[in-house]
Amino acid sequence: MIPVMSKPDPGQALNGIRIVDLSGTVASAYCGKCFADYGAEVIDLEPDTGFSTRQLPPFTRFGDPPLSAMHAYLSTNKHSVLKEELTETALATLIDRADLVLTHDPNQVPAHVSTLSIDWFGPGPYADHAATDATLFAMNGMLKKIGPAEGPPYLPTGYQAQFVGGATAYLPALAHILGCEMGNETRGTRLNTSIFEAMLCFTEPAAVGFFNSGLDMDRMGINRFPPTYPLGVFPCADGWLGVTVLTPSQWHSFCHLLDMEEWADVPLFQSSVGRLEASDLIEPRIREALATLSAEALFYKAQAARVPLARVPTMGELFEIDQFKSRSAFAHATFDQSSIKVPSMPFRLLRTPPHFGGPVPRLGEHTEQYQ
Amino acid sequence: MSPLSGIRIIDLSMGWAGPLACRHLADLGAEVIKVESCIRFDWWRSWEATPEWIDQDGAEKSTSFNMVNRNKRAITLELDQADGRALLLRLVSHANAVVENFSGGVLKKLGLEYETLRAHNEQIVLLSMPPFGASGPWADFRAYGSTVEHASGLPHLNGQPEDLPVMQHVALGDPVGGIAGAQALLTALRHQRRTEQGQQIDLSQTEALFPLASHGILEFSATGREPDRGRDRPNTSIHQGVYPCQGHDEWLVIEITRPTEWLTFVETLNLPSHLSQPDTGPHHPDLRTYIADRTTLESAASLMETLQRQGIAAARTFSYSDLLTDPHLAARDFWQWKDRAVVGRQPNPSAPYRFGAAPIPVNTPAPTLGEHNAEVLGGLLGLSADELSDLNARGIIGSRPRLR
Repeated sequence: MIPVMSKPDPGQALNGIRIVDLSGTVASAYCGKCFADYGAEVIDLEPDTGFSTRQLPPFTRFGDPPLSAMHAYLSTNKHSVLKEELTETALATLIDRADLVLTHDPNQVPAHVSTLSIDWFGPGPYADHAATDATLFAMNGMLKKIGPAEGPPYLPTGYQAQFVGGATAYLPALAHILGCEMGNETRGTRLNTSIFEAMLCFTEPAAVGFFNSGLDMDRMGINRFPPTYPLGVFPCADGWLGVTVLTPSQWHSFCHLLDMEEWADVPLFQSSVGRLEASDLIEPRIREALATLSAEALFYKAQAARVPLARVPTMGELFEIDQFKSRSAFAHATFDQSSIKVPSMPFRLLRTPPHFGGPVPRLGEHTEQYQ
Repeated sequence: MSPLSGIRIIDLSMGWAGPLACRHLADLGAEVIKVESCIRFDWWRSWEATPEWIDQDGAEKSTSFNMVNRNKRAITLELDQADGRALLLRLVSHANAVVENFSGGVLKKLGLEYETLRAHNEQIVLLSMPPFGASGPWADFRAYGSTVEHASGLPHLNGQPEDLPVMQHVALGDPVGGIAGAQALLTALRHQRRTEQGQQIDLSQTEALFPLASHGILEFSATGREPDRGRDRPNTSIHQGVYPCQGHDEWLVIEITRPTEWLTFVETLNLPSHLSQPDTGPHHPDLRTYIADRTTLESAASLMETLQRQGIAAARTFSYSDLLTDPHLAARDFWQWKDRAVVGRQPNPSAPYRFGAAPIPVNTPAPTLGEHNAEVLGGLLGLSADELSDLNARGIIGSRPRLR
């Protein structure tokens, strides 16, 4: 276990960096959030109507109109400035002093200021194609493998592609700023990130594997991802258990935990592929055994035996799990006198920690500050 | 000159997440030195070694390993031997950061915990990226990328009410954890550059998936209600669906994001005119049947093109082979073809970001086991040829896997 430093140094890792966001998408907002939570000055330069993220469900019960919980999560520790209310000089100064401007239209930004566009596709034949988080799961090759064998495939929900794109876009953004500080890069660079290409992170090993093997298996059903077996989510007496068993020793321990010792040494079952072939036989037995057992108890017993089982917590259960509580994995985003719990930064610099939660700006709250 | 020229990373990580984090840094110009053991080599080469596998150069044939380790140099060191450990610490004194994703306790057992590294290089950054984070009661627990998806709760947000919670991927946690790892490294390197201070980074791969589940997490947080699995849950769109098309397992995803697109959509697909009102059409009980009756008559590719021409978000379900031949990716030179020892010509995916029109080059394919022993240990650390052959003879370094 890594000891947490008791006295973090004052100052945060990204102090002194200034980012201006003109895009206001989930992708640009998450990219900006990572900067803001680590101490950069991030300015949402919003239209009169506010960024579209303010309209995204789910909504909190506070604010008028009610504050979008998604916007709150994405906007902690940022500044909100109304673009139309800034004087021409103030606007030019704000842009001019930015280390990076997040925008879909780099031509609107002076040539000496660096920009980053986070686009669905980037320049190329699909540049003008319409896309959503869902359509990118179709195009990155994942969707064909999700859901019942007979179809239709199940679409993953939420804003996942944009979060992957936003986190990915942080890499060239910060590398460029650091590169400028090191003398490796010059201001005025036009950076871009393709969310489509970022989403290929999930499937690039399979695509390269296909090039070499010619193998691409049909969808086999819910939670079937060959060759790993058993793999999946099973109902237990007290909730859901996630199962992954790969090596012969894990199979041994798993059989022991589920009281199916007689299968532990079956030669065919020593390999994942062999077990997958026999899944019609194995699956009902696992299901039957787990139905009466406690997921919570099995999780700890399995981990003690080095078998990577895990609870599959519901959203409410996530907030109650000791591991996440002890790490402050959720913290309060505050808005006026109210607050809502949002996920904290997943990576923690121990000497210069991120903000955990933080204030969410009202629309235009910081306009005056930048006049 | 690349953005990160002058930065050196020691990569002790294995599998997917850690090596992917370091691949990003390598693409961005950092010098990444991958350190493996000839006995406990990167498990993405293989879970286990046999004499035949070694004889047939099995260690060099893993396409996954080769995909995630390009633009790096590779050396071998037996870290449980005193001389191997000492050489690693000498490397650390020349490095900006060390990355590891060993199981809990291994770094300590090797005597390579942060305090030791820091004693050799006060400015060193150490990134640890365990599945549940390096603190808390689960700090030493084990997980695969699938376990991480389980523990994030995300499967509860996918599928139909009658289904089990639905997973998305065989190892969802790995690539997302890899991106977070690269984010973490850059953040700490920026602090190091500014203050000459090093530090430890604790990354939880499970928490790295929370943003992907944030729509569900925030719904509970905001309302106290569990999201219903199984409703069609378009974010703000007025229609979203997956429809069958001509051919085996061919599907089209359609998402209508704005009411203004509705009439165009209905007309483009020649749907019955009583569906054309944007306030009622999307809620018609037979809408999905009407659309499916239409899409089954045509290929997904041509429907995608037809709808896209009208500005409607439509995408066919790509297979892995489609990714290799996709015209957009081809026009962008996304796949960079490189000759690699043992396996020959291979497609390498470009970094998903660019600093101009061209992709960041894949300068070197994935190194072979210990390929740069002489270059790194001789060059950077100044070991003589005699010292290197002595290390080789004693099995501290090598270029072929050995059985345990």
